[in-house]
Amino acid sequence: MSHAVPLQYYLVVAGVLFTTGTVGFLLRRNLLVLLMSIELMLNAVNLTLVAFNRVHQANHDGQLFSFFIIVVAAAEAAVGLAIVLAFFRVRRSVRSDDADLLRN
Amino acid sequence: MATFEFAFFCICALFCLLGGVATVGAKNPIRGAMGLLCTIVGIAGMYLLLNAEMLAAIQIVVYAGAVVILFLFVIMLLGPVAAQEPDARGAMSRYVGAAVMIVASVGGLLAIVRSGGGPLTMFAEPVGDMGTVEAIGHAMFGRGLVAFQITGLLLLVGVIGAMAVARGRHGDAALQKQRADEIRSAGPRQPSLVAPLSPHQPTTGARPSKAAAAAKALLSKEVSR
Amino acid sequence: MEALTANFPAEDFGLIAIVLLAPLIGAFVNGIFGKRLGKDAVRLMALAALGTSFLASLVSFIVLATGHHEKLRWVAWRWIELGGRGGRVIPLDVAFGVDAMTATMMLVVTGVGFLIHLYSSEYMWKDPGYHRFFAYLNLFCFAMLTLIMGDNLAVLFVGWEGVGLCSYLLIGFWYDNEKYASAGKKAFIVNRVGDFGLLVAMAGLVYFAGTLSWDQLNASTTSLMVPVTVWPIGNIPTEQVWDAQHAATSMWPAWLAHIFLPETPYQIYAATLIALATFLGCAGKSAQMPLYVWLPDAMAGPTPVSALIHAATMVTAGVYLVARMSAVFVLSPAAMAVVAVTGAFTAVFAASMGLFQKDLKKVLAYSTVSQLGFMFIGVGTGAFISGFFHVFTHAFFKACLFLGAGSVIHAMHVRIHDTDASQDMNHMGGLKKYMPITHWTFLLSCLAIAGVPGFSGFFSKDEILWKAFSEAVTTPQMKGAWAWPGWLGPAIYVAGILGATMTAFYMFRAYFMTFHGEFKGWTIVEGWVDPAPHAAGHHDTEDEAHGHDLSGDADHGAHAHAKVAHGDDAHGDADAHDDHHDHEYGVGKIEGPVPHESPLAMTIPLMVLAAFAVFGGFLGATPLHIEPLVHFLEPVFERADALVNPRGGIEPHGGLMWLMMAPGVAAAVVGIGAAYKIYFLDHGAGEAAFKKSFPGLYQLLFDRWRIDELYDATVVGMLDALADIFTMADKWIIDGIIARLSALVVGAAGSLLRLFHTGRVQVYAASMAIGIAGIGFFMARPHAAVQVQDEFLKQTGEVVLLAAPGLGYSYQWTGVTKTGESTDTFATKREQRVVVAQNETREIVVRVRNAFGMESETKVSLTRKGPAGPTANTPAGGAPQIVPKPALAPKVQRPAGVHGDQP
Repeated sequence: MSHAVPLQYYLVVAGVLFTTGTVGFLLRRNLLVLLMSIELMLNAVNLTLVAFNRVHQANHDGQLFSFFIIVVAAAEAAVGLAIVLAFFRVRRSVRSDDADLLRN
Repeated sequence: MATFEFAFFCICALFCLLGGVATVGAKNPIRGAMGLLCTIVGIAGMYLLLNAEMLAAIQIVVYAGAVVILFLFVIMLLGPVAAQEPDARGAMSRYVGAAVMIVASVGGLLAIVRSGGGPLTMFAEPVGDMGTVEAIGHAMFGRGLVAFQITGLLLLVGVIGAMAVARGRHGDAALQKQRADEIRSAGPRQPSLVAPLSPHQPTTGARPSKAAAAAKALLSKEVSR
Repeated sequence: MEALTANFPAEDFGLIAIVLLAPLIGAFVNGIFGKRLGKDAVRLMALAALGTSFLASLVSFIVLATGHHEKLRWVAWRWIELGGRGGRVIPLDVAFGVDAMTATMMLVVTGVGFLIHLYSSEYMWKDPGYHRFFAYLNLFCFAMLTLIMGDNLAVLFVGWEGVGLCSYLLIGFWYDNEKYASAGKKAFIVNRVGDFGLLVAMAGLVYFAGTLSWDQLNASTTSLMVPVTVWPIGNIPTEQVWDAQHAATSMWPAWLAHIFLPETPYQIYAATLIALATFLGCAGKSAQMPLYVWLPDAMAGPTPVSALIHAATMVTAGVYLVARMSAVFVLSPAAMAVVAVTGAFTAVFAASMGLFQKDLKKVLAYSTVSQLGFMFIGVGTGAFISGFFHVFTHAFFKACLFLGAGSVIHAMHVRIHDTDASQDMNHMGGLKKYMPITHWTFLLSCLAIAGVPGFSGFFSKDEILWKAFSEAVTTPQMKGAWAWPGWLGPAIYVAGILGATMTAFYMFRAYFMTFHGEFKGWTIVEGWVDPAPHAAGHHDTEDEAHGHDLSGDADHGAHAHAKVAHGDDAHGDADAHDDHHDHEYGVGKIEGPVPHESPLAMTIPLMVLAAFAVFGGFLGATPLHIEPLVHFLEPVFERADALVNPRGGIEPHGGLMWLMMAPGVAAAVVGIGAAYKIYFLDHGAGEAAFKKSFPGLYQLLFDRWRIDELYDATVVGMLDALADIFTMADKWIIDGIIARLSALVVGAAGSLLRLFHTGRVQVYAASMAIGIAGIGFFMARPHAAVQVQDEFLKQTGEVVLLAAPGLGYSYQWTGVTKTGESTDTFATKREQRVVVAQNETREIVVRVRNAFGMESETKVSLTRKGPAGPTANTPAGGAPQIVPKPALAPKVQRPAGVHGDQP
């Protein structure tokens, strides 16, 4: 099939998604939302990698990299959620502002 | 067919962006998780467009099928606590950071899009078995073998870490037993193992000086309930 | 005998190694394993080591004497090779040599050392540091042997420092007591002042003579007779120049300035300089003025140490050195005069200090200083053999005196352990009946030191004084050398007689006070309290500075009560001043142990030494022509003796000699007689009377002329002040300003940085986002930077320009090939080669475009300077006139004057 969607469109989508994730990470205080924002960012990066791999088709590096990013993101989500649970047990809240014992 | 592709692209992009906004903006974390799911599905669609079928499948299976489910577990485990009201402390630096990020991103995007004024890059024909399972398999166990093994190790560590962190005071067998007894005796009335917020919880202003003491106080309250 | 000479030829005499190594091994074993081995084993090891050394020395002596060798040599290894003047190579070997003087000295060191080891094995039996003591003592013997057997000055210096170290260790042997430890430090530091002189001398010898070895030094003394120009105070322009510059408006009075501007600098012979520097070292080691102050304080060490080190061996190292370098000294009459005058002065000065001391060991210490002065008189006036002979005899009688004193102190210890009270002669008396052997040996040694005819001291001392009177160093025939004035010899002789008188006096004073009369030490009982309040405590806080009160009161009280008590028996029990008149009537025998004779291990050495003190003189009794030792030593001093001749008209062994002996004998008689009268007959009345009539003088003598206090006030005070300045600098500047300032800065920075640590993750993430945005902004823009490699710009005009790389960069160069031309396309060529002609300035412009299409540019200007003046026919210079300039090409600047017009 002929390919009607240029590379830049994918990059824009990825960029917007990444920005959304970053803004969410910076502005939201709910730990779970933070973690989900991180997932958003990772997904955006994955999209960029795969898109570029589609341009430079010498090898599958982009997709391979994305694969590993998915795996690592999953592991990170698991550990992050475990930390959220532990934090909740101690602090009885999931507000990121409450995790400030390292202050000063 | 090009238009079909273009339409499919638009739909997927919409899924991504709306899902992203929903994730970030939803008050209810369940809604956020659903938004995340939406985004993931959109991304998976885009992978299909980009001749990365294997990756699309993996995306659905791992992300949508495991990560989002995990999120949902935890949200439900936390219960009503998960949807807390934010407070306005320390907001300024984060607004500034967010603003900077938005500006930078917009600028970056514009730079990308303009690309020096040249034509947009159209994709060439896919080469050979681009994106198929066999191809990815060859690549992974060829070039990416070491990375693969290390990732396995990483997963192992992650599992152990998650277990260690989430289990908490596993030395306290009596405490665990007591809690289990309570739950049994309390019956199905309590939807979560963890008690909801009580008015005696320390508020944001009066934070206890020692977290350990607070933890003890909290846990003792929890036990006594 | 043949086996001996076959195995140990004179050139490679390995027995020397045994002589040296035996005490070293003893020191090592006793030091490291002594504690574990136990006292008996330690004693055995020490005695065996030194006994072996003595036997080996004896054998060496016999081989040397009977084999008619000049010197037995042994080289251990080549130590250093120095590069000398004129490209010479100066080797310094660890070489040892035994000639007559060394052999004699070896016997003295090991023999007397062995006896003292035997003595101290008993004396120090109860000391917990027993093994340490013997380790140090053996180490000392090793160092001393190295000193005397060293065949060059470098090895001697090793031994020199070694004995200094051991002296320090042994003086401060009871290091818990701060006073004793300080005494050790004082000895070492004062020695160090002298060692500086010795090092300067060594440097001078290396420079002028090109050798440090005795043999070569003796052979090459002419190289030392070079004049050295010295400006002692300042080296500033001569008077004329100075006067010319500061003609009328001189701030200083003219005479003051002219002191600092000697018209002609001084010329001193190198030999004089070296000899004077060496003598500084000897003055330090042998306790001459002004560096004698450590020796009396050195009495803080155990008595055997005083006997060995500060009487017999170490302090004579200075005399040994002067004698060893006799060939050098004799080249410089001026230096020898310094030596002799210093010796004479010290002899009299120290003897005056010993006159009224209370402490028995201090008397002996001052006596040692005084006798060392005599020895230096000997070597200073050219009587090297006589001086050395006095070293020999002095070792015996002084060691015997010290060991006797130790025996007395040991007896006093039964009352109370080693405090100053047990050494105070005012607490002694009447020990004759308790300690007969000690008494007789002490008496014999006193007779020897006083110079009673027939005893050893008489022969050695009188020979020195005769030679001082009668001989003079013949001036070498060189211009400007200072010669001895005729009166110097007799003046020294008179000083020597004075010193001898005082020596006889105070030695017998000590003898009478210690051994005759009634024992006054009953009150020295541990825990005894004097019921008389004003006298309470002064027994236990025996302080030299306050001691005069005690002796003053004692004598005053004795004197007063002696007058009264005859008619008042009730005073016998009066407890008001009982320790003042206890000599005859006072406190009776307090219950407690009685002083008794020392055990055999201590008395045998006393007897042996006393025998030598009595009969040793006959080894060098020159007037009687029974002088085997003198003949034995003559070859060593051949060169020096050649330049020492009797003064005009005096016959060496004629009638004048017998006549000049008379004052010496008279001195002994007068001294002994005075002491007898004052201390035996009058029980110290004469001293009390002297004290009353000349209290100031008495005080001055008792305080030893307050030299220590003078040093404290001047030298030590200066150093203390300097240290205080540095303390203040440390406290106020370094701690106050620098430390506090930096702490302040760090604190301020910390307060500032603390604001960033809110503990909240999102704040950190926000900062990170800002940082990333900044970096991204920087990275996204193109950067045009050119690296110019212009090493060859001057020579060939070729310059390489390298543009900085970047992702997706493409470059457009302008002005590279020909001025005014530009490459329009953007290519990826990063490197350009430019050739600049002489006297030309080129401008290169590079534009960079990155992957986003953004551009940026930079300019580089290259100038090549060539020879001034028209350089016609330079095509690069001529071309721009012709080629039309494109719009983008930079302007070409040409130096003015090439073609006579400006652009």
